[in-house]
Amino acid sequence: MKKLIEMQGITKDFLQNDDVIHALKETNFYAEEGDLIAIIGPSGSGKSTFLTIIGGLQSPTTGKVLIGGEKFSRLNMKQRSAVRFEKIGFILQSSNLIPFLTIADQMFLHNKITKTKPNLERWDSLAEKLGIKKLSKKYPAELSGGERQRVAIAKALYHDPLVILADEPTASLDTSRAFEVVKLLARETKALNKATIMVTHDERLTEFCDKVYQIVDGVMTRKK
Amino acid sequence: MFLAWKELRHAKGKFSLIVVLVALVAYLVYFLTSLAYGLASSYTNGINAWSADQIVMTKDANDNIMMSVMTDDDYDSIVGAEEVAKVGLFPAVIKDVNAVDPDLTKEEVYAFGIENGSFIAPDITLADYEAVVDDSLQELGYEIGDTIILAGTEIEWTIVGFVSNATYQTAPIAYVNLETWMEYRFRATIPVLLFSAVVIKGAASIIGDNLQLYTIQEFINNLPGYSAQVATFSLMIGFLILIVAFVLGIFIYVLTIQKTPMFGVMKAQGISNGYIGGSVIMQTLIITGFGVFIGLVLTIISGIFLGGFVPFAINGLFYGVITFAFFLFAVLGATFSVKAVLKIDPRIAIG
Repeated sequence: MKKLIEMQGITKDFLQNDDVIHALKETNFYAEEGDLIAIIGPSGSGKSTFLTIIGGLQSPTTGKVLIGGEKFSRLNMKQRSAVRFEKIGFILQSSNLIPFLTIADQMFLHNKITKTKPNLERWDSLAEKLGIKKLSKKYPAELSGGERQRVAIAKALYHDPLVILADEPTASLDTSRAFEVVKLLARETKALNKATIMVTHDERLTEFCDKVYQIVDGVMTRKK
Repeated sequence: MFLAWKELRHAKGKFSLIVVLVALVAYLVYFLTSLAYGLASSYTNGINAWSADQIVMTKDANDNIMMSVMTDDDYDSIVGAEEVAKVGLFPAVIKDVNAVDPDLTKEEVYAFGIENGSFIAPDITLADYEAVVDDSLQELGYEIGDTIILAGTEIEWTIVGFVSNATYQTAPIAYVNLETWMEYRFRATIPVLLFSAVVIKGAASIIGDNLQLYTIQEFINNLPGYSAQVATFSLMIGFLILIVAFVLGIFIYVLTIQKTPMFGVMKAQGISNGYIGGSVIMQTLIITGFGVFIGLVLTIISGIFLGGFVPFAINGLFYGVITFAFFLFAVLGATFSVKAVLKIDPRIAIG
């Protein structure tokens, strides 16, 4: 199996009131094609630090992140931004949707930025699979929480990234909706050969995941 | 462009209000410009109609053409001009002799004495005691054939024609031949020609140190009140443009700050600062564009309705410069918002 994203010897220290905080102690991690990986842990454990480093939103203190075999973490902000844009799909807690774009336009924003033509075929098949086809002309505010997260999944997948990073994707959903969303995520991860890394505090979701890691006080251990 | 436009269309109400604000200030600015230009033109129409380059007066007149008296000897000491024309200039108050109450028809005019056939003369040949006057007097009830008396004198002239845009220092001009003008100016019949100034086409020089040569622009700037008035209006217009740019800049800045979480998410998704900042600038330009366009249309409509009541003149060049200034300062105002976008940390999107 191909490693899509990998962390080698990552640590992250912060300085707070002259005290060094070890937010993330030495961490080695990888995700392969088809992997749906859950990262669990209490709040303040280092989950967010893990996600921001693997997503290139901040630099690690030591170590490196490889995405698709390419070094990622030591690039400058602008270069990392470009890598994220191309290779990572984000699904965020509340929603990563832009309030004034219709659901279809959320997808096509990517094309507008890259000055390419909208991939209608891909949008149709994603919309079909995620059951959001009839929402394409609606605005995010007109959708339910579950619909919004399904659209967010579609948006994360639309531009064909290598890796999906999901931050509490089920935070605003009830149990049945949450299960539904994670099952969709598992299915699409496998079907499209992506690696999905999902940070969550909801341990019930781990039953749909291939691997589960727990972070406590900056130390990451494998649970499943 | 895509984001900028989609947001404007989605939040029509909010952005319409901002556009209305920009439109109103733009209206005020264009309108003031037209008034200022109209007023300035009513000072100088009579001068600009000459299409001259220079003018000569006596030094003793101290830049005031009303006080200048020149002779043919002075005229002969001007050399090197392409064309020269003698002009007499003196204020007068006219009354319609045949009106029921002539005192109610009093109008202040400037009597311009010209030599028939000179390059500053009206097209019609003026016999003694015949006057061609600005057509604003026609709107006030004067007609061709009317006899006018010059207040304070027994002198009577007959109106034989009207010309448009013949104003000097905001008052209508009455063209008469130089002999007729001299009789009024000096209240006597004088055997030699006396006049106020010599208007020149081309670049002349003067022999003799009792005369002074001015460019037409210098002459205009020396008109009483002209420079001060132009400076006042220019300052007002300049400040208005700065204020609208500032207000628009603040609006855009507040909107940008409100959208910080959204921009954070977009940056996390790898959308570049350039694209987001570009959208903010584009939005500013679109709002400015709409506002300026509406302001311009309102100004032109107002101009049509106001025609004749107040000096109102449209000048494409000034409009162009002001429009450019609006866009320039609006974009400068938006750069604060772009800076705010640059500062947004994409980490806010997580957790």
